[in-house]
Amino acid sequence: MRALREHGGLLLAAAVALLLPATLSSGTLATEVLVYSLAVLGCNLLLGYTGLLSFGQGIFFGMGSYAVGILMTRSGLPLPAAVLASMATGALVAAAVGWFAIRQRGTYFVMLTLAFAQLFYFLAYSLPQWTGGDNGLLDIPRPPLSLFGLAELPLDTPWRFYALVAVCFLAVFWLLERVTASVFGRTLLAIRENEARARAVGYDTRLFKLAAFALSGAVTALAGAFHALMTGIAPLSNIEYHASEMILVMTVIGGTGNLFASVLGAAFYVLASDWLSTLWPRWLMLLGLLLVAVSLYMHQGLWGLVQRGWRLAVRGRAGAAAREQA
Amino acid sequence: MNVYLLQVVNGVGIGMLYFLLAVGLSIIFGLLRFVNFAHGAFYLLGAYFCYQAVQWGMNFWLALVVVPPLVGALAWLAERLLLRRVYDQPHEFHILITVGLALVLQEAVILAWGPLGSNVATPESLQGVVMWGSFIYPKYRLFVIAFTAVFAVLLWWLLEGTRLGSAVRAGSESAEMVTLLGINVFRVFGLVFALGAGTAALAGVLAAPIRGVEPFMALEALGVAFVIVVVGGMGSFGGALAGGLLIGIVQSVMSTLWPEGARLMIYVAMAAVLLLRPHGLLGRG
Repeated sequence: MRALREHGGLLLAAAVALLLPATLSSGTLATEVLVYSLAVLGCNLLLGYTGLLSFGQGIFFGMGSYAVGILMTRSGLPLPAAVLASMATGALVAAAVGWFAIRQRGTYFVMLTLAFAQLFYFLAYSLPQWTGGDNGLLDIPRPPLSLFGLAELPLDTPWRFYALVAVCFLAVFWLLERVTASVFGRTLLAIRENEARARAVGYDTRLFKLAAFALSGAVTALAGAFHALMTGIAPLSNIEYHASEMILVMTVIGGTGNLFASVLGAAFYVLASDWLSTLWPRWLMLLGLLLVAVSLYMHQGLWGLVQRGWRLAVRGRAGAAAREQA
Repeated sequence: MNVYLLQVVNGVGIGMLYFLLAVGLSIIFGLLRFVNFAHGAFYLLGAYFCYQAVQWGMNFWLALVVVPPLVGALAWLAERLLLRRVYDQPHEFHILITVGLALVLQEAVILAWGPLGSNVATPESLQGVVMWGSFIYPKYRLFVIAFTAVFAVLLWWLLEGTRLGSAVRAGSESAEMVTLLGINVFRVFGLVFALGAGTAALAGVLAAPIRGVEPFMALEALGVAFVIVVVGGMGSFGGALAGGLLIGIVQSVMSTLWPEGARLMIYVAMAAVLLLRPHGLLGRG
């Protein structure tokens, strides 16, 4: 029971990773769910665990895409090394952006992160020799994964690539679970609750926020790298305002402060937009209305809804059991 | 004539429009502590209403007078029915609800006018250029500078010289205290929100003949307005003016030096200002 409570989130995440292939016919769509789950986990670490609302997550997502694209097309590095290097890039960029942004708090901080998102977008736009400009970086290869030179795992079909992403997704989820449960994670929560007090207790809160930014940047860049490998291109849209907005929206729709909520938010957004966009080209209007509704009535997000339903069910069962006894 | 001088004058023209865009956002933030992600959408509405008015054969001047109050009234309704209900929530919900509102408005614009952009004719009396010796400048842009300058003075007087203005400024110091003094602060909130949105719509009307209309122009405007508010200092009228002019001139001058990077340089200028003055040019610490 204790194991269930400690690793319930990880079990649910594993269930999602197994359920997606069973229920979806498109491997690309399933991969997209996990890719955005990773990005949302990165955002949630900042918003839900540190209280930092970053509108610049698209920067790290896009940088991950570009880094893996440039390395895979030009350097001849093996795929795992390129992915790790893109994570390092994401962490570095996030630390730099964070260093600027955490000098401010609250709404000022939000506007700064958004302004930086625009800065990096125009940077990518102005450097076509590196990023391909408007066209994006094309023809990013996905060579087979070599296992210590012993065997080769081909990644040529969407589902084979999905398997790789699913394994990495679960590893990151487990890691983030450990991080948020650690003393470091608890300190982040303390900063979210009351930064002045956390500082008074003796924590260098700036350092903690920077570390949270770097970790979030690495995870988000991993998502961006997988997205580029999945589609074979690193487009300008991966670093655009809309990428930042989408990641943030998924995070809040899912619910903050719980890791599995992020998976829920990403899955809901990706699947609903895939479905709605075939029905009505102006489906973004429905999304807008949903956002208004969430901010008026559903502050805990989808995860809060699930929790409420679960509590009702448990209470109903307990009530039935009590009646039987009487 | 010196190309750079022309670019600086051009930059002033752009900068005045940027000031209009940013000042509403800045006042709304100063009083309501509310980041309005729908601000760009009001600019978008202003531009499209102007386009429609000209399409209908209506006079541009009439559009200039009618459209901003109309958009302001819409914004007032939105504030009253929706935004007011999330003021006491954490700011992610302020952002979420205005992002949602912006999406709804943008999609509504696409539904009504289609996804492609169009041009808006410059009013006849302002077509052509002005020439002083070797100095050549489009008449319409000169009009925009003059009109915005007059409007800025009026707005400044409204904020500094009237009772509403003192309520706004006092409210941005302490909304609670103003309430205790017997001023209905919620009514002031609604008016200020409408005023901010109306100013953005005015920027949209004035920009339409220069840059045309397209459904995604809201985003660019929002990004620029945020930068100006960050550069100038939150809630500061003078900051919005200084920031708007600085950003306009940087963009304009850079567009002759490095055309692809002109808009990038806006954000570089922002980073530079923030390094030197973390609270913006005229922001209070």
